[in-house]
Amino acid sequence: MDGMVNSVDKLVLALPKGRILDEAMPLVRAAGIEPEPDFDNPKSRALRFSTNHPHIDIIRVRAFDVATFVAFGAAQMGIAGNDVLMEFDYPEIYAPLDLKIGKCRLAVAEPVELAGADDPSRWSHIRIATKYPAITARHFSQRGVQAECIKLNGAMELAPSLGLCRRIVDLVSTGSTLRANGLVEIEHIADISSRLIVNRAALKTRPEEMAGWIDRFREIANGP
Amino acid sequence: MTDFAERALLPAGLRDILPPHAAYEADVVARLMAAFAAQGYDRVKPPLIEFEDSLLGGAGAAMAKHTFRVMDPVTQRMMGVRADMTLQAARIATTRLAKAPRPLRLSYSGQVLRVKGSQLRPERQFAQAGIELIGAAGPAADAEVVLLAAQALVGLGVEDVSVDLTLPTLVPLVIDGLGEGEGLRDALDHKDVATVSAAGGKAAAILGALIEAVGPAPRALAKLAALDLPPAAAAERQHMAEVVRLVREAAPDLTLTIDPVENRGFEYHTGVAFTIFARHASGELGRGGRYAAHGEAATGATLFMDTVIEALPGPVAANRVFLPLGTPAPMGRRLRAEGWVTVAGLEQVTDAGAEARRLGCGHILVADRVVAVE
Repeated sequence: MDGMVNSVDKLVLALPKGRILDEAMPLVRAAGIEPEPDFDNPKSRALRFSTNHPHIDIIRVRAFDVATFVAFGAAQMGIAGNDVLMEFDYPEIYAPLDLKIGKCRLAVAEPVELAGADDPSRWSHIRIATKYPAITARHFSQRGVQAECIKLNGAMELAPSLGLCRRIVDLVSTGSTLRANGLVEIEHIADISSRLIVNRAALKTRPEEMAGWIDRFREIANGP
Repeated sequence: MTDFAERALLPAGLRDILPPHAAYEADVVARLMAAFAAQGYDRVKPPLIEFEDSLLGGAGAAMAKHTFRVMDPVTQRMMGVRADMTLQAARIATTRLAKAPRPLRLSYSGQVLRVKGSQLRPERQFAQAGIELIGAAGPAADAEVVLLAAQALVGLGVEDVSVDLTLPTLVPLVIDGLGEGEGLRDALDHKDVATVSAAGGKAAAILGALIEAVGPAPRALAKLAALDLPPAAAAERQHMAEVVRLVREAAPDLTLTIDPVENRGFEYHTGVAFTIFARHASGELGRGGRYAAHGEAATGATLFMDTVIEALPGPVAANRVFLPLGTPAPMGRRLRAEGWVTVAGLEQVTDAGAEARRLGCGHILVADRVVAVE
């Protein structure tokens, strides 16, 4: 019965807090979903918001939690970066639409002074600070390198200068944070953008409704 | 005390099922098996453990990574604990029942054990109930299995059952010769259009169209019909359309969707396959489809009892009546014949009403009459 926390025909849209939200909200509004005014109040402590559709609610959670809520069917739809999707690799999530927002890349970086003398092809074991231990381990194991990951939740760029480890795997958009911390990008892992995600069971059991929303978001994302 | 409490700890994914849920599960399985038997599916009972090479040979290889192994001390051969019962039923059909007339209809139920649970199903042990239809290749056989599995669930009281049909052979036929990357398969599984169009090469356009066809059956069939497919893939599409027609004719209210690119868990299927969902359950209630049973055409369905039970309203409490010590035996027999569950007092008590309540009885026998406990 744990999977039945939502009342019958509610549709819950999970949105990530922070940077991506600002880019995502224009799309959500263009799709005709308008949250209650409290949503834009920075002092609000509410986590769940009603919308102009009586059966649609919006929840605002951390980016990684968007994927978890959708994977377990607690939210039927959400917006998440493919970094989060690759990290969890939840089989219950479909990502049918690239919203083309939140663009950046996932890369390996190390201190500038190390990069000159380093030969990545000779690595057998490396230690890496990252928010993405699963992607990192998978990426390096494909090259026959064992990656020992130290999980951090932010400020990865500090790790090399404080001697926690020499290399990091992190999101890079302009590269200015790396430069400011004396780091240089040495390897590209993946291009990142935000996707519209849906719960698999929701797509199968409410096909018309879910397909309707996907189509509406597709028109907006691919529009002029 | 802590030591004793700690003994209750079970390995991850294993659990005790207590009253009333244990009896409820048994009852639900019995009702499913009765529904299968009513359409001529005869029950078989394979063993819990088999030799690894027979359990995991052929199509069984898909279960290899889920299977617990033990060494048989007698033969020194490796044995596997079944992680799925489908292939055991198929083995019985093609060996010991090889001479039985075709099409052969078999049913089974039992516990399976898996090395590791999944995110949505952390259970490592759960009950399965299923059917196999061996020696029939036509759309009528596919439709029979889909309908029987879905309607058995509806009969149990599962609301808003929905069947997702898939064709695991379609994508390989479409991109045959165009070269398929591992990343592409992953992207198709996640319906990740962006990655498919980037990695799909020459097949990108048609794969994108297949993903776009995912949805309600009539719409999906129309979109598939518009595609220019290689002859072998077109034949599969025709077979699928015929199955859809038969299922819709027999069960117009059943929600039917099509997902032509679903592949996970269908690696060994050779034709129309399907997954069963329900609106109020977060995971799959069952799955099945067409496969080759040692060269014979076969199709079947397996229901996962843990999710099926999650989608049901739950057990209804039985009417229990407390019989104080000294109640004559014929009285108890009479009440049981009337459908009561009788709970006998074993000691003389001062307040029989309180004793009845303590033992979970809603009624008590007073002067040969059943009265409700205050």
